[in-house]
Amino acid sequence: MSLDINTKKAKKNAYRISKERGIGASRVRVPGGYLKAEILGMVQKIAETYGNGIVHLTTRQGFEIEGIHLEDMDAINQMLQPIIELLDINQTEKGGGYPASGTRNVSACIGNNVCPFANYNTAKFAKRIEKEIFPNDLHFKIALTGCPNDCAKVRLHDFGIIGMTMPQYDPARCVACKACIKGCKNFSVDALRMENYKIVRDTEKCIGCGVCITKCPTRAFTRSEKKYYRLSIMGRTGKRNPRLGKDFLIWADEDSIVKIILNTYRFVKEYIDQAAPGGKEHIGYIIDRTGFAEYKKWALDGVQLLPETIVNECIYWDGIHYG
Amino acid sequence: MNNVYLPFPSQVKEIIRHTDIEYTFRMSFSGQVRPGQFFEVSIPKFGEAPISVSGIGPGMVDLTIRRVGTVTNQIFEHYKGNTLLMRGPYGNGFRTEDYIGKEIFVIAGGTGLSPVKGVVDYFSGHPEKVRGMTLIAGFKSPSDILFREDFSRWEKNMTVIQTVDSAPEGYQGPVGLVTKYIPQLSVSDKGQSAFLIVGPPVMMKSAAAEVLKLDVPEKNIWISQERKMCCGLGKCGHCRINSTYICLDGPVFNYAKGKYLVD
Amino acid sequence: MGYKIPREAADNLFKGLGKHYEIFAPKVFSGEGCFSDTGIIRYGTVRTLAEIEFEKKSDYSFKEALLPINETCLYFTENTSSVPAGEEKKRLIFLRSCDLHALRRLDAIYLENGPEDFYYKRRRERTLFVLMGCPETCDTGFCVSMGTAQTDAYDLYLKVSDTFVWADCKSKELSPFFKGFLEECEPETAKSVSLQVEPEFPKSNKESVTLPVSFSDDILSHPIWEAYGNRCIGCGRCNFVCPTCTCFTMQDIHYRDNEKAGERRRVWASCQVDGYTDIAGGNSFRKSQGDRLRFKALHKIRDFEKRFDYPMCVGCGRCEAVCPEYISYINIINTLAKEGI
Repeated sequence: MSLDINTKKAKKNAYRISKERGIGASRVRVPGGYLKAEILGMVQKIAETYGNGIVHLTTRQGFEIEGIHLEDMDAINQMLQPIIELLDINQTEKGGGYPASGTRNVSACIGNNVCPFANYNTAKFAKRIEKEIFPNDLHFKIALTGCPNDCAKVRLHDFGIIGMTMPQYDPARCVACKACIKGCKNFSVDALRMENYKIVRDTEKCIGCGVCITKCPTRAFTRSEKKYYRLSIMGRTGKRNPRLGKDFLIWADEDSIVKIILNTYRFVKEYIDQAAPGGKEHIGYIIDRTGFAEYKKWALDGVQLLPETIVNECIYWDGIHYG
Repeated sequence: MNNVYLPFPSQVKEIIRHTDIEYTFRMSFSGQVRPGQFFEVSIPKFGEAPISVSGIGPGMVDLTIRRVGTVTNQIFEHYKGNTLLMRGPYGNGFRTEDYIGKEIFVIAGGTGLSPVKGVVDYFSGHPEKVRGMTLIAGFKSPSDILFREDFSRWEKNMTVIQTVDSAPEGYQGPVGLVTKYIPQLSVSDKGQSAFLIVGPPVMMKSAAAEVLKLDVPEKNIWISQERKMCCGLGKCGHCRINSTYICLDGPVFNYAKGKYLVD
Repeated sequence: MGYKIPREAADNLFKGLGKHYEIFAPKVFSGEGCFSDTGIIRYGTVRTLAEIEFEKKSDYSFKEALLPINETCLYFTENTSSVPAGEEKKRLIFLRSCDLHALRRLDAIYLENGPEDFYYKRRRERTLFVLMGCPETCDTGFCVSMGTAQTDAYDLYLKVSDTFVWADCKSKELSPFFKGFLEECEPETAKSVSLQVEPEFPKSNKESVTLPVSFSDDILSHPIWEAYGNRCIGCGRCNFVCPTCTCFTMQDIHYRDNEKAGERRRVWASCQVDGYTDIAGGNSFRKSQGDRLRFKALHKIRDFEKRFDYPMCVGCGRCEAVCPEYISYINIINTLAKEGI
């Protein structure tokens, strides 16, 4: 049987062309890694109906349903529809499957739904970003993590969002037990000390992890009402120059981050190498070309940062250079 | 309403220097007080420290202070003028009347001599009131010896063994822990003896064990406990052991009760 | 005297009380819990009935309304010291039966154990207590086992619904507020307003404890202390939430911006936290968490009782609910009882 497959279109439609001729994989994106368990049953059904019964859990919090026949893509797209609706994925054509795959799944650690260390609801923020940016073919990688432990490894992403909280200290509730000081020293950056039996926080040193708050037995330390984020940018893996992201903003708010991401899409559209294979080029390489100052101008365009947000005016990335 | 936390000023009549870090402050005080009771000496902006009464005389008490903490440092370093603030006396102290007619053995370690010194002084001045008196006092080293002048006075009318844990070569006096000297004590009538043991917890425990080996009934042993105290008034809780508040019920305990004070 | 008052009128009456009293009650402090997006119920001042959390048990007890976490005892200048003035307004404290029984324990330490405590007494004498009922038991309380589920030692009992507020006023001092309200009512309404009001008390709890009948000396070396001690992190939460824990530490300070002035204050202390027994010169006692746990647990069910003839623990269950290491105080008591220690 002859197979006539537009692989470019198939890839865009979130199918992998595998090494075995005629066989591919269906990639199911789960924004923030947050899903209702019933989706697992739907994935199972697709795998057992059209695949080889095996599902790979991807590093970006998706399912890759293995061993599907490329000619079944339309039928699979039909079966994907309830999943796409349950996950509330922006779609251009109902029943058409995932509409784009260039921008990768917005992944997240488990966040404050469950984790005691997390400083915000990572899944919720991931979904907000998802709604703003999808569908999109540009090559963006965004990840969110609840606290500076960075379990989601967001520093390997173009945009890494790290939850912070501004510790609020009420000396009238403090009993000088030093639990916060020990916690900060043992688990974080040793930013607390005692003076006159009360806590002094080194605001330059403090990374807003919230350990002092979880350790405090009297609620002298509490979280700020506002949620804050550290925005790490332009981390990447890859062949030429893998590197960790660097802090762009510290003590930033959610709205500013969303806006900066959207601004970055405009920047990439303007400056992307028109000859880039598949129309995909890592943002970092584009910034390497234009210079950070130009990127920053675009990124912060129209962004109303909080007064307390620290902006790093100059960023130089290092990492390993192979080519 | 009476505020029991308010200290009163007391005149410093004299300062007796024993070692570089141990001084006796002779304070004017004319209230009722017993040896082994304590005062909270109060240095505003630095804190309070419980200090036991090491001597009692007409219109005065001696407070022997060892420089080991924030407050006692302040007393030594920034002591100016001629008054100190204090409140007290607190605690039960030693009841000298309990020991009249008995053969008294005082076993003290280091500054543990302070709380019991008033008893030694009293009977040194009234030797007719006791059957006999022996003092075993242990210090870490010759330079830690306290109350040197008192010792020469005491030696005149009681048996005194002044020992040091260790000493440089050529030291003439006895060397060894106080417990070394307990087995050789001769007690004329065990039923009519009184053993007063004061010092660090480990020392008191081992000394009491040695005394019991002499077949002395435990009711004839008294100890004095030292604990953290923030109030001296039965409120702050730091000194409590089981149902006993050291500040209210002690610090002096008959060993029949004291042996149950286990932290 | 009992009253059933329409909610709106009760809200006004409450506002009137607020003019004369500083009112402390359990409140939800949303976002102030240990973890992100969690709240905490603790005491704070309130101006309206609506601010009060009537349903859930407070995570921290009422004691901070009577014994502040930090209390300045003396202010110092160069050569003088002065006692801070007491609060101008009298206090009303909302609490439940277990906590009202805990008040008796606080009184025992601060008024009976040694001389009376000046700071506690002057506040205590100007405080009235408003009982909140417990129509349902809370999750971790065992007040029925401890005999603290009921009380009549309140000044005022209040029960609220969206439409009515029921009150039982025992205090002479507070009754004019209710009588004043009665006088303003239409005669018809007034008739329906006065009635017998009985507080709601829990009849049973989800948890129960049996106290050991006697304690042998072996209890010191019971393996339970080491087992739990290995799990305990010594954070002191159990002490800080406990309505009967009364320990404090004194702190003297120099003000940073004026070294010549300063203050002496007392601050809540925990027998589980490092430093509690440290004495000048370096000695300390009860170094292991197991020993500290024993010290606390036995105080609650044995040592306090030896001194005052009733157990210290009132079975509020707050320590059980707060322990981050899931050390069950209920289980400790029951284990000791079961093994006939």
